Amino acid sequence: MSVGLRDGLKKRVERLRTLPSSPAVLQPLLELLRSPSEQIDLKKVVQLVSYDKSITAQCLRIANSSLYGRARPTESIQAAVLSLGIQRVEDILLTCCLQRFSSGAPGAGDSTVFWRHSLGCAAVCRELAERIQYTDPDRAYLAALLHDLGILVNSLAYPEEYALVLAKAAEMGVPLVEQEMHELGFTHSESGSILGAMWQLPQAVNEVIALHHDVSNAPEDNPLVALVHIGDMLCRLRGLGYGYEEWRGVDLGADPAWSDLARHCPQLCKMDLARFTMDLDAFVPRVQALVESVFSPNVKRQEAPISH
Amino acid sequence: MPIEILKGPAVEASEKEDSRDPVYLKIRDLVYQSCGIYHSEEKLYLLISACKRCIAQSNGRASTGREYLALLTSPTRREVEMRELMNQITIGETCLFRSQAQLNALHNVILPELTAERSKIGLKKLRVWSAGCSTGEEPYTLAMFLLEEKEKLLRDWAFDIQATDLNDNSIETARAGVYGDYALRNTPEVFKRKYFLPAEGTRLQVRSEVKACITFTRLNLNDDSRLVFMKGMDLIFCCNVLIYFDLNSKRRVVQHFFSNLMPNGCFFLGQAESLFQVNDQFRLIHLPGTTVYRKSGPETAKARTP
Repeated sequence: MSVGLRDGLKKRVERLRTLPSSPAVLQPLLELLRSPSEQIDLKKVVQLVSYDKSITAQCLRIANSSLYGRARPTESIQAAVLSLGIQRVEDILLTCCLQRFSSGAPGAGDSTVFWRHSLGCAAVCRELAERIQYTDPDRAYLAALLHDLGILVNSLAYPEEYALVLAKAAEMGVPLVEQEMHELGFTHSESGSILGAMWQLPQAVNEVIALHHDVSNAPEDNPLVALVHIGDMLCRLRGLGYGYEEWRGVDLGADPAWSDLARHCPQLCKMDLARFTMDLDAFVPRVQALVESVFSPNVKRQEAPISH
Repeated sequence: MPIEILKGPAVEASEKEDSRDPVYLKIRDLVYQSCGIYHSEEKLYLLISACKRCIAQSNGRASTGREYLALLTSPTRREVEMRELMNQITIGETCLFRSQAQLNALHNVILPELTAERSKIGLKKLRVWSAGCSTGEEPYTLAMFLLEEKEKLLRDWAFDIQATDLNDNSIETARAGVYGDYALRNTPEVFKRKYFLPAEGTRLQVRSEVKACITFTRLNLNDDSRLVFMKGMDLIFCCNVLIYFDLNSKRRVVQHFFSNLMPNGCFFLGQAESLFQVNDQFRLIHLPGTTVYRKSGPETAKARTP
């Protein structure tokens, strides 16, 4: 990307900072995400979630969705934090904030496709991380949830141009990055990592945002890039992609990301990929239900008394 | 009160309940290990209802899932019982146009790649083998699909389809090519009009031009001496057949398929089957909504995916 293009992009991303829809809890939440998980105060998380009534209601709906596999519905944030764990509640809160952040701007368009892919990829990456015994499945979830942050940035910063990019990629069935490069001269990896840097996201997560389509340049000590790359590919080929089919055959075992990840997680070589792929089909309806709970209007439920 | 109406949802509810029963998860894993057919979470109910039909037909040998699992693992009964369970699992599975995802993958990715590559070396013939073709639904689907492609991608190409099955009766039925509503339930109207003639009742008969694309032969996949002659294939289909083979025969047959394929040729299994621990020479290729196994050409470079 040329210097001029990068400066222009940076300016547009900086303008996003002042979006009226940016929720007040986003900044303190991002700060919380940066601190080591063992130091996070349960009370602080509950306080953040409870700050905005409609966000509280939305968080509870997500916490009770089938993707989190809960047997009994949770009625308070306190109980959700206790049963799901602090990190998951942070992820849920972040999802709500980003949804708010993206929906207020003009030209945001239909972001349900974005959420299907992001939440789907997050769930699939956590599942993959668990199966191959990666040390921090929750971090894999967070990284995958944010890996395509740049798609949000692009549709907010370049609403008209980007709608065209999305439509053309869908029409031709080509990967989104290829179409972005062709039409804009930069990709969602670049714009996403500019916002990620502004938000001071954890470094490993920002590397995933910047390099998930360019795994060979990932730092050796960050297997998350390869993991999210593989989860992303699987989602796009198994009904949780960008809302259209990408017509190509992918040999994941021959992808450099596969050997990168296998170096860190030897269990990957023993994994039954065909069976894992079939298991992913069960994620599609659950992710769909979760997306509905992120987007369904929260009028009725919000008015119900919520105990903290 | 009509009992049937009450029965429907009640059975469904009980199967939903059963899908949390660890016994059925054990049966699922047992079926996967011994037959290579996998029931993921949302397909588990199919396995459970197949098990229940087997239990009902077991003459009291089993009345619960737990007892049935014992039967499936008993040294004296397991082979018979597993075969019967496989029959129940695949019952009603065959129809024309069974897997649209496979056909889409062929149309959008596999054929364009294969034809481009074969054209480079001046080859303009495609060889397809439907191994275990049963009563002909699969080879006829492929024949119609390829006839359509002849108007586009396969213009001035020749193709032939070898369709083989162990069972003489199945081969006879296949040759006749007459199908009822159930077998035709996925067949698009355009295809019905273009490639079929009316037969008795609502049944339809495949037109002779479609039949002419296919050679039906009886063949035992365990017969090594015959398998070595099925050379030079571009596409091999073997759906829900290997489930009846033990691991060693499965390995042997799949090895034959591998050597019978041309470089970059593709091997198709049923949607729920996998070659895990059966063969590691094939490359598992992911395509939208489906997977195939490819025999890599010598020149296949390391893939890079955007």
